[in-house]
Amino acid sequence: MVEAVADAAATASPARNRPRALRPLDPQLVAIGLAGGLLSGLLGVGGGVVMVPLLVLWAGYDQRDAHATSIGAIIPISIAGILTFGIAGRVHWLDAAALAVGAVVGARVGAAWLARIDQRLLRIVFGCFLLVVAVTMGIRR
Amino acid sequence: MTVALLAGLALFGVGTGVAAGLLGVGGGILIVPFLTLALGLSQHTAEATSLVVVLPTAVVASLELRRRGVGNLGTALRFGAVGAVAAACGALLALLLPGSTLRLVFALLLGLVGLRLVRDGVRDRA
Repeated sequence: MVEAVADAAATASPARNRPRALRPLDPQLVAIGLAGGLLSGLLGVGGGVVMVPLLVLWAGYDQRDAHATSIGAIIPISIAGILTFGIAGRVHWLDAAALAVGAVVGARVGAAWLARIDQRLLRIVFGCFLLVVAVTMGIRR
Repeated sequence: MTVALLAGLALFGVGTGVAAGLLGVGGGILIVPFLTLALGLSQHTAEATSLVVVLPTAVVASLELRRRGVGNLGTALRFGAVGAVAAACGALLALLLPGSTLRLVFALLLGLVGLRLVRDGVRDRA
């Protein structure tokens, strides 16, 4: 009797085990996805800026997996934002296309340079630049 | 819209892509200030346009990561599908808010990212 049940479970297991991705999402992941999505739609960014740290510090992902998971999640997240803003007629499609072509090329170059550059100095210089831009944005009306 | 402007935009796109690849900072955080400060687009239009750049960048990066076997794209997409609901709400909220408010919130986020980069750089150096 017990064996029969075990057999049935074994037969059913391939179907049950294979789509690991179809298990319900962790409530933690749901919360992180919601936070990233909200920030993305509200500010026009990917949302990785909140998702990556939360995935690492709260959900216990390692840095690489957190990055990969965040980048994948940005696909549906940005589509939803584009549709919403697009319906409202806010998208400049031609500008976006030109920027996007450049960005895709640039990302490859950046990744290739990664190993050859002093990350620390770059972070400090670039961080200061972002602070200046932030203040400029904040004070301009 | 001139050809020169489009070429300039593509060039700036290359710059944001390089920075994103090097620093792990997303493109949107650079594109939105550029479109508002340099090109004078409204905050709403800049955000909307930025997302159209973010999408193909994320697609290309995800395909590359999957090819290298990093992460699980299926789980990431399902995780993102949850986020998509919030993203639509966030975009609706943005459309309801005045541009000046959004700009301040954006400046705050940008400042935090800048501080974090400086901190990481200084900490690594020590």
